[in-house]
Amino acid sequence: MIKKINSRTGKVLAYCFVQLALFVAIVVLIDFGIGNLLQHFYFTMKRGTQYRTTYAIEKTTADIIIFGSSRAVHQYDPLIFEERLKLSCYNAGRDGEESTLYHYAVLKGITKRYTPKIVILDLMNGELGNQLYSYDRLASLSPYYHTHPELRSIIDLRSKHETLRKISSIYPFNSLIISIFTNNLNARKEKNPDIQGYLPIQSTKIITKALSTYDKTEQYDLDSIKISVLKLFIGECNQKKIKLFIICSPYYEKETGTDYSIVNIEKIAASKNIDFFNFGQDSFYLKRPELFCDVLHLNKNGATIFSNTVAEKIMLADKSRTTLQH
Amino acid sequence: MLFNSLHFFAFFIIVTAIYYLLPYKLRWILLLAASCYFYMAFVPVYILILGFTIVVDYIAGLCIENAQQKKRKLFLICSLFANIGVLAVFKYYNFANENLSSLLHYFGVNNPVPFLSILLPIGLSFHTFQAMSYTIEVYRGNQKAERHFGIYALYVMFYPQLVAGPIERPQNLLHQFREKHLLQYNNFAEGLKLMIWGLFKKIVIADRLSIYVNTVYNNADQHNGTTLIVATLFFSVQIYCDFSGYSDIAIGAARVMGFKLMSNFKRPYFSKSISEFWQRWHISLSTWFKDYLYFPLGGNKVSIKRWCFNILVVFIISGFWHGANWTFILWGAINGFYLLFARFTQNIRTKLTSLTGLSRLPKINLFIQVVITWLLTCFAWIFFRANSTKDAFEIVKKIFSTGGAVFTEGSSVMVFSCAGVLFLFLVEFKRHYYNGLFSLSNNTNRLIPKFYYCLLVIMILLVGVADGGQFIYFQF
Repeated sequence: MIKKINSRTGKVLAYCFVQLALFVAIVVLIDFGIGNLLQHFYFTMKRGTQYRTTYAIEKTTADIIIFGSSRAVHQYDPLIFEERLKLSCYNAGRDGEESTLYHYAVLKGITKRYTPKIVILDLMNGELGNQLYSYDRLASLSPYYHTHPELRSIIDLRSKHETLRKISSIYPFNSLIISIFTNNLNARKEKNPDIQGYLPIQSTKIITKALSTYDKTEQYDLDSIKISVLKLFIGECNQKKIKLFIICSPYYEKETGTDYSIVNIEKIAASKNIDFFNFGQDSFYLKRPELFCDVLHLNKNGATIFSNTVAEKIMLADKSRTTLQH
Repeated sequence: MLFNSLHFFAFFIIVTAIYYLLPYKLRWILLLAASCYFYMAFVPVYILILGFTIVVDYIAGLCIENAQQKKRKLFLICSLFANIGVLAVFKYYNFANENLSSLLHYFGVNNPVPFLSILLPIGLSFHTFQAMSYTIEVYRGNQKAERHFGIYALYVMFYPQLVAGPIERPQNLLHQFREKHLLQYNNFAEGLKLMIWGLFKKIVIADRLSIYVNTVYNNADQHNGTTLIVATLFFSVQIYCDFSGYSDIAIGAARVMGFKLMSNFKRPYFSKSISEFWQRWHISLSTWFKDYLYFPLGGNKVSIKRWCFNILVVFIISGFWHGANWTFILWGAINGFYLLFARFTQNIRTKLTSLTGLSRLPKINLFIQVVITWLLTCFAWIFFRANSTKDAFEIVKKIFSTGGAVFTEGSSVMVFSCAGVLFLFLVEFKRHYYNGLFSLSNNTNRLIPKFYYCLLVIMILLVGVADGGQFIYFQF
C-alpha cells in the first residue's frame, strides 16, 4: 500500500516538476527574446530622457558636464557655458533624479571613457535626506546594468534583491516599452527638443497664492549612503583632476535658515576644497515670478541669467585658483 | 513578508517543497513554524499578541465545550472580551482618545489621558475575527473544541490567510489540518495559476493605478472635479485588484498544499444591486458579519424599523472594522443607506423600469443596473480612500461643482493604467457572462493555459510596478 502511494506520489511529483520546468523554460525563452529586443531598441532611441542618459554615458565628449535633477536640466544652458568658457558643454541632468546616487553612476560611466575638464553638480534642499524614493529612482539606470558594469554598484543600492531581479532580461526595461517604442519612431517629432541636454521652459510663473516663507532650520536625519556617495563623487573628480563646482540654484520662495542638507554639503565641499556656490536664497531671484515657471524652476529668461552668472563665477574661481597656484 | 516580494517567493518554494517531503503527521509543525516566521518578518514582537489570543481562545473553546449552559456563555463572553480588548487597545484606543481630546478641547479642557505610541499589528482585525468565529461556533455547537493546541494555533496563524484573510470558519479549515494532502497535479497547477493571476492584478493593475490615485488624492485640493472622478474610478479598480489579488495569492498558495480556502470575491463590479455587491465583495467578512452580528440582531425577520437599525449597525461596524477613522465609518454608513434606499424604492424602481420599457430590454436594463451599482460603490470609495472626512467632503464638492481637463501623471502611467483596466474588464466580463466559451486560462489543450500564464508573468516583468509596496488591506 505504502509502496503504491509512494510510487503514485513520485509520478505526480515528476509530472508536476516536468510541467513546471516546461513553464519556466517558456518564460525564460520569451523573457530572453523580448529582453534582448528591448535592449536593442533602447540603445537605438534618438530622443527622450532615456536617450539623453545614454548619450551622456556613452557618447558625449564635452569638456563641461552638468549634473543634477530637473533644476539642472531646465536651468543650465550649455550654449552659454560654451560661449563664456570656450569649452564644449553637455547638460546630463535628469528630471526626478534628486540624489547624487544617479549622478555618481553617470559620472562613472563618463570617466570610464574620457575625463571632462569641468563638472557642475546642482544639488537641492533635502538632497541628503532619508527619502526611500531616491533608491527607487535608480530604476532609471537599470537598462545599463548588463552593458555598463561600472554602474552596478550604484544600481544594486536600489534593493538587496537587485542582482536576482536582473536575472530577467526584460526587468531592466520595466515600464519603458512606451518610451522605447515612441522614441524610436521617426514620425513623431519631439515637442521640446533638447539643446545639448538642456530643456528650457518658456512659461512664466502664475501667482496663485500669497508668498510663503519656509522654515528650513529643522535638523532632519541624513542618509549616510548618500553622504558617502557624494564624497565618492568628489573623490572621483579629484582623482581625475576634474574641476568640480557644487551649486544650489535659486528658489522662488523665501526660507528662514538654511536647509540641513545644504549646510552639510557646504561643509563637505569646504573639507574637500571644492567650490560651493549657494544661490538658493539669492535676493536677485527671490520672489521674481518673471524669472520662474514654478517655485522650483527658472524659466528660459531666468535660466539665461543664471547660466551667465554661474559661468562668471566659474571663470572667477578658475582665475583665483590659477593665481593661488602661481 | 509581502506576497509580492522575492522573500515570499523563496519562502513559498522552500515551505511547499518541505511540506510534501515531510510525513503528513509532522506537516502541522512545519506550517506552524513557517507561519510564525512569516508573521515575525513584519514586527517580531507582535507575535506575542497573536499568542495571547490563541491561548485565550484555545482555553475558552475547551471550557465552553465542557461547561453547562450559563458558564458556556460566560466563557464565550470572556473570549470575546479578550479579542475585542486587543483590538480596542491596539487599533481603536488612540482614535477614541483623539476624539475625546477634540471634545474636551471644545469645552476648553485638556485631555489628561495619554496616547499610546504603538504600531498597529499587521492583519490584527483578520486573525482576531477568525479566532472569534471559532469560539462562537464552539458555543453554538457547530464545531467541536480543538484539543490539539498546535492545530488550533495553526488555524489562527495559517500563513496564506494570516494577515489579510479570507477570514475562515473552523468548520471549513480546522479539519483540513488533520487530512492527508497528497500532491495532486490539479491542486498544484490551479494554485499556481491563481497566484500568478493575483500577482498580475496586484503588480500590473493595482500598483500602477495607485501611482495616479495617490498623486491625486494626496493633493486633492490641487485637482479639478474631472481628475477626481478619474482618480475615484481608478481607485475602485485599484482596491479590487489589490485585495482580490491578495486573496487569490492566499487561496492559490494554500491550494498548492492541498488546502481549500473560501473564495473572497466573485466579480463584484458586475453586481446589479448593492446587496448583490456585498454578496460578491470580501465575502468572508460579509458572511462573518451576517452570521455573527446581523442574524443575532434579528436579521430581516423583525419590524422594518428594527431592520433599518440592524443594517446600519452592521455596516457602520463593518466600516469601523476597516480602520479607526471617521472616513471608514462614513463609508460603512453610506453602504448601509444604499441598502435601505434600495429596499424603500424597490416598488418605484420596478414601476419605472416597466414604464420606460426597460423591462422589455433586459440587456440594456442589466447594463444600467450594473453601471449604477458601480458608480454608487465608487461614490462610497471616496470616503474610504480620502485622507480625512474634510478631504472626502471637499472631493465630493469638487466632483459636483468643477470640471476641466484630466490631469495625466506622465503619459505612460495613464496608458498602462487604462490598458490594465481594459484587460481586467475583458477577462472578468468573459468569465462572468461567457464562462462556458473558449478559455485561455482553462483550455483543455494544456499548452494554451501555459502560454497564457507565461504571458501574464512576462507582463509582470514588463509593465509591473516593481516597488509597489504593501497591500491596502494589510493596515486593517
